Amino acid sequence: MKKEIKHTFFFPHPKAIVWDYLTKPELVSQWLMENDIKPIVGHKFKFRASPAPSIDFDGICYCEILEVVTLKQLSYSWKCSPTDNGHKIDTVVMWTLTPKDNGTELNLLQTGFKEHENEMFYMAMNNGWAKNIEKLLQKISSN
Amino acid sequence: MKARTIDAFQVIADPSRRQMMHLLSKDSMTINSLAENFDMSRPAVSKHIKIMYNAGFISIKDIGRERYCTLKQDGFNELQDFINYFDKFWTNKLNKLQSILNNKSKK
Repeated sequence: MKKEIKHTFFFPHPKAIVWDYLTKPELVSQWLMENDIKPIVGHKFKFRASPAPSIDFDGICYCEILEVVTLKQLSYSWKCSPTDNGHKIDTVVMWTLTPKDNGTELNLLQTGFKEHENEMFYMAMNNGWAKNIEKLLQKISSN
Repeated sequence: MKARTIDAFQVIADPSRRQMMHLLSKDSMTINSLAENFDMSRPAVSKHIKIMYNAGFISIKDIGRERYCTLKQDGFNELQDFINYFDKFWTNKLNKLQSILNNKSKK
């Protein structure tokens, strides 16, 4: 069971091109979502995707640029599904560009699921209990 | 506090409920024995149990005169669905970026 999201992609292109596709709204919207991104720390913007009713996601991601290291690293907050007390998903998306083999390696890391959420993911991952409980229930039932 | 409208993320946001689930992760427990671990009224405990039950985190079974609570996977699955959704989401989007950039270099 996962607690963070990680992806690595390779592009046979210079990092300046990949960087443009991460930071220019008209290029970002070609592959990701409609947006008003600007690579300036503190800039607040939104991504608009199709809603996913199955997970109660309205399709809007509320973001704020947290870090910009031109051509190397870009991170922004990524919050979705507003609730009465904040957002259901309150995470950080971090992009890292590394020159490699006549191209650019792009790493995506989405972290920051709340500590107690991580804790529960971990607990759910611990499948051992399910079996133990089943056994116990059988014991109780047969009494 | 409405018991019905609470989603999985809100269920686990409460420390008492997390504590209850930790206790239940070791063993099924009766509502009474669960309540003994908490310094709160019996109705308050019942309310938390109802919330966890409605969100699919526990099941309740009557055995004799006792009600047994058992941890259930469904609630946790809802949390996991979120992560899986975004995991797949990024894979799809990055594949799209790759094909855009690959077409670009051909020109």
